[in-house]
Amino acid sequence: MPLDLSFLDLKPAAARFMPASVLAPLDGPLEHDAIATFDLAPVSNPTEFIHNQMSKDAEHRIHMAKGTTTLAFKFAKGVVVAVDSRATMGPYIGSSNVKKVIEINPFLLGTMAGSAADCQYWERVLGTRARLYELRNKERISVAAASKLLCNMVYGYKGMGLSMGTMVTGWDKKGPGLYYVDSDGQRLTNHLFSVGSGSTYAYGVLDAGYDYDLSVADAIDLARRSIFHATYRDAYSGGSVNVYHVKEGGWEFISKTDVFDLHYEYQDQPRPALV
Amino acid sequence: MTLAEPLPTGGFSFDNVARNAMLAARGAKPPKATSTGTTIVGVIFKDGVVLGADTRATAGPIVADKNCEKIHYLAPNMYCCGAGTAADTEFTTALISSKLELHSLQTGRQSRVVTAMTMLKQMLFRYQGHIGAALVLGGYDVNGPQLYTIAPHGSTDKLPFVTMGSGSLAAMAVFEAKWRANMTRDEAVAIVNDAIEAGIFNDLGSGSNVDVCVITKDNVEYLRNYNRPNERGVKEQSYRFPRGTTTVMSRKVINFVDVIEGDAMDVTA
Amino acid sequence: MEAFASTAPVRVPLEHRFSPYTDNGGTTLAVAGSDFCVIAADTRQSEGYNINTRYSPKLYPLSNGSVLAIGGMQADASTLAKRVEQRLEWYQFKHDKPMNTQAVAHMVSTMLYGKRFFPYFAWVTIGGMDENGNGCVFSFDPVGTIEKHLWQCSGSSSKLIQPFLDSQMGHKHELLPPGELTAQRATLLVKDGFTSATERDIYTGDFLEIYTITRDGRTRELIELKRD
Repeated sequence: MPLDLSFLDLKPAAARFMPASVLAPLDGPLEHDAIATFDLAPVSNPTEFIHNQMSKDAEHRIHMAKGTTTLAFKFAKGVVVAVDSRATMGPYIGSSNVKKVIEINPFLLGTMAGSAADCQYWERVLGTRARLYELRNKERISVAAASKLLCNMVYGYKGMGLSMGTMVTGWDKKGPGLYYVDSDGQRLTNHLFSVGSGSTYAYGVLDAGYDYDLSVADAIDLARRSIFHATYRDAYSGGSVNVYHVKEGGWEFISKTDVFDLHYEYQDQPRPALV
Repeated sequence: MTLAEPLPTGGFSFDNVARNAMLAARGAKPPKATSTGTTIVGVIFKDGVVLGADTRATAGPIVADKNCEKIHYLAPNMYCCGAGTAADTEFTTALISSKLELHSLQTGRQSRVVTAMTMLKQMLFRYQGHIGAALVLGGYDVNGPQLYTIAPHGSTDKLPFVTMGSGSLAAMAVFEAKWRANMTRDEAVAIVNDAIEAGIFNDLGSGSNVDVCVITKDNVEYLRNYNRPNERGVKEQSYRFPRGTTTVMSRKVINFVDVIEGDAMDVTA
Repeated sequence: MEAFASTAPVRVPLEHRFSPYTDNGGTTLAVAGSDFCVIAADTRQSEGYNINTRYSPKLYPLSNGSVLAIGGMQADASTLAKRVEQRLEWYQFKHDKPMNTQAVAHMVSTMLYGKRFFPYFAWVTIGGMDENGNGCVFSFDPVGTIEKHLWQCSGSSSKLIQPFLDSQMGHKHELLPPGELTAQRATLLVKDGFTSATERDIYTGDFLEIYTITRDGRTRELIELKRD
């Protein structure tokens, strides 16, 4: 009779109720796709604890980097991804050089909105998962599958205070892929997304100029302009605009431009006529 | 016809109390007053009283003023050190100072220290601690040198040596170690200086310099910055920005006068 | 009428809010140059208006040649530094070589994230040399966001010193490009940054500890700051 080893197939959610020693601890060696565990506060309700520590009136508040404008859209020649680079901690600009496009692997990109740590960590885990998938199946993971993996992982921690709004893009057998995944467990696919505090401003420019048959140069320009205009109006977005283009051979980094320079570049150009 | 403006009645205005309570209930944060984390002390010696104070004013973790004055004038024979909310100590002492002056003119006598103390404690008690003033009052009158502390709620102490403010424990440690009865002026000034220094170096709310005020019969020595133990060191380099640092966005020259080229002025000696 | 209703006072178990954090103040700073790294911190350790000690180093020189700078809560900082050093030791035994700075940085990132739901109260910066012999600086938020910098200041005086460095090292306020940054100039700016911050931040003071890392190794300098 085969041994019942099903108890080893722990879901992340189960980690909450398991003593840390049962699962591979994060600061010990991680074997393959073992599920990492997280230390919890030694109180009856650890979730409430972390919510309290991050609440506005906490005595020693733990601020996390937030505030963003990111966008991505599919068009005839692939996907264009553009993001700003500002990290704010309350009213303070923590950084103006954040890499908000996370290079998961040469064919997959993830964008960063919400808590920087959550996005960075889980998209890094996604990178290892995608690599293991390749090794096991002798083909690259699809964007749909990758985004679903990410979605399922963070869904296991729903209610624990993760904060992530990301777009997973890439190129697979079916062509360009674009998915929106967030820490609530929502997963959507569409031609066009913008995420973050400046997204409404970006959508304004993006929707006005978007066309599926845009040339690559025009698509890149539209993406860059959309982010620029979001940084112009949203105090929580700024710094530089990073642009990527996802195509059949994988993604390509296009440019990093300081919004200060873009301001003077756009200043002298004719404004579009009012409709 | 317009209604005559009612004469201002003076004193505090409570017009916004209800509104502010409502805003606070909705989560609005009231503006924070500058609170002086402070070391203030006083000591009686043979011929009078010595008051001392540090000179740091803080706004949260930031030093708002590196050399403020915390020893306030009350009357020609009386001074008062203030700790707590900066505005409250300043206005409370100014108000009582004014009342003392009027009282002195009315009675034709020099103000007594007990009078000032009573006026201060009655005012602070009336406001139930909402006026955040913690005071060290020292003076010399017909009854000789006197020294009091007045806490924000109005309670008072009459003692030969006193300390107040966030650095009061550090300063009191010095007094407990070194104080003796019937000290000379110089001895008293020296231990006041040491007590304030203890506050300056060991209490983060206190810092910079030592102010001292010596009050004796018919004389006051206000020794502003009696000791400066925290001079800023010399910077490693200069930070003058060269011409051209600021971007010139546009340039426009308006000629208000016509300059006529003429013979150069003779400027030889 | 309810059968079990009672008018006697009910004793409800009272759970006090678990508040394991305290801020011990202080400032850390690191600068990366083409062939050097300067990493500095004051040594004051305080709580409220009290100074616990005038010399509690916030810089932890690591066995691989890098320096870890940790601000925030001293207890969490020393625990984290100890765990990082232990991981470096394991790495050395396993691979017979020291871990490079970049790897240390990513390791620290996952160690911090491992406590995502019970974070270390620590703002971490790492300074060292990369594999090409260039200076590098990485900084982290308490839950492990990793970022690479040329200069970075965190802690109680970060808002005073960071804009100064942005101006003097990055020329962010002017169009003239900054010149090549030398270790000497970086050290001067670090010292002026700290002496100025000491003037205005009550939590920064006592001593300034500076490590300068180059290809030739690591040197330490200790300078007095104002003690008030």
